[in-house]
Amino acid sequence: MSEKALKRLVRWISESWMMFAFFACFFLLWEWSIDWFEVPKYILNKPSEIITNSAADLPRLMQYTYITGLETVLGFLVAISLAIPIGVAITFSNILRKTLYPFLVSVEMVPKIAFAPLFISWLGFGLLPKVIIVFLVCFFPIVLNAILAFGSLSQELDRFSQITGSSKIKIFLKIRIPFALPQCFVGIKYAAINATVGAAIAEFIGSDQGLGFYIQIVTGNMRPDLAFAGIFLLTLLGLGLFGIVTLVERLMIPWHISQRRG
Amino acid sequence: MTTAIQIQGVSKVFSTDDGPLVAFGPADLDIQEGEFVSLLGPSGCGKSTLLMMLAGLEKPSSGQIFLNQTPVHSPRNDIGVMFQESTLVPWRTVLGNIELQLELRGERSENFREQIDSLLNSVSLKGMEQRMPHELSGGMQQRAALCQALIHQPQTLLLDEPLGKLDAMTRENIRGDLQRLWLDKKPTVVMVTHSIEEAVQMSTRVYLISPRPGKIDKVVDIEMDYPRNLAVKQDQRFIQYLADIHSVFHSYGVL
Repeated sequence: MSEKALKRLVRWISESWMMFAFFACFFLLWEWSIDWFEVPKYILNKPSEIITNSAADLPRLMQYTYITGLETVLGFLVAISLAIPIGVAITFSNILRKTLYPFLVSVEMVPKIAFAPLFISWLGFGLLPKVIIVFLVCFFPIVLNAILAFGSLSQELDRFSQITGSSKIKIFLKIRIPFALPQCFVGIKYAAINATVGAAIAEFIGSDQGLGFYIQIVTGNMRPDLAFAGIFLLTLLGLGLFGIVTLVERLMIPWHISQRRG
Repeated sequence: MTTAIQIQGVSKVFSTDDGPLVAFGPADLDIQEGEFVSLLGPSGCGKSTLLMMLAGLEKPSSGQIFLNQTPVHSPRNDIGVMFQESTLVPWRTVLGNIELQLELRGERSENFREQIDSLLNSVSLKGMEQRMPHELSGGMQQRAALCQALIHQPQTLLLDEPLGKLDAMTRENIRGDLQRLWLDKKPTVVMVTHSIEEAVQMSTRVYLISPRPGKIDKVVDIEMDYPRNLAVKQDQRFIQYLADIHSVFHSYGVL
């Protein structure tokens, strides 16, 4: 390890040890209070029990994590690949801005999760209705931020582009897209945070596999320990997705003020 | 000398809730090739609007503008413009920003290596090519923007208060750079400013614009030799020009 990296590590530890200490205290307190208050096992378990008991059910948990992960990622990717072009189209089309845009804003007000039972009754227990629910949850923040992103080019840059006599397509590629990326990522990150929520709720409503299904079943069986394992894996899924988006963001817009390191 | 810019009966009227508002004009003026002309007036007098009409970025409500003998109907690409706000994009380096102008014009930036080098040299930005805009001071950013506006070697340069946001010392410095570049290539320059001193130091001719509605009221030819460096400010004629222009704006009630 280079000296610089070592220094960075030391600084990181000195800055964040309190956070880790707090986490540790939280779990220790949890562990200890289960015994102290004599909490029954069917209500809540110690963290240590959650770990050992869920290890026994690991194969099923892994399989379900894969399924929920697949639903989440598919819905999320479809949302990005539709929302960005639609956002661009709305920005540059007067007709769409007067028709589709107000429509989308109104639909945004509807809690998308409320559609979940309908989609399940229309499309069954399979993968597709979950992907659609995740898509619905992710689509709106991305499209609304894309409209904001592509519509807010500064007057100076717009005029500068016009003076070059360049084609619209070239200006789009060289000016408008890079200018819009930071705001697009705001929407994409918001969607990434909510994607797993969509998948889990869709599975609660009608499913025969996946982490949402698992949490519901084990809770019915009075196994809060396994429910916590499911919640933990869902959290990891969400964190993983958010982490990947953050990484892609850092690679694509390293120049942006949000990405600069002190 | 040939006429570079002709403005004939040009006015700009904005429609507002309280009826039409004359922002500028009507005005007539001719600018000769290779002149350095300033449009001097208080803020809100429509001088920037006139500049944007010259560029074809805004349409006059009446009248006609000719630039290099052809009428201006739409945005012109045979000019260079420096705007009030920086047009440096934050995702490109200084060099990348200068190349952006060339790329958008369909030029290959490899063919402009020497011009880029000498431009950067002339504004003391040598060695800064790979810096990002946010790593530069405000003055350096405007110098880079000046290079960006000049790299395609336009015969006409329009400057919209390019130094307006800079501190006094940096302004002084960049004025020198700008004057040197102008003397070197002698493009036609139209500069919008609200600094009397800047207008007198830089220009062959200063147009004084009255406030609301903006009208070209007086023309002052600055008959002093170039280069006009800091020492020129001690010159009796320079001081007299400042005083004359001051009294004109005083009579408008602006000063």
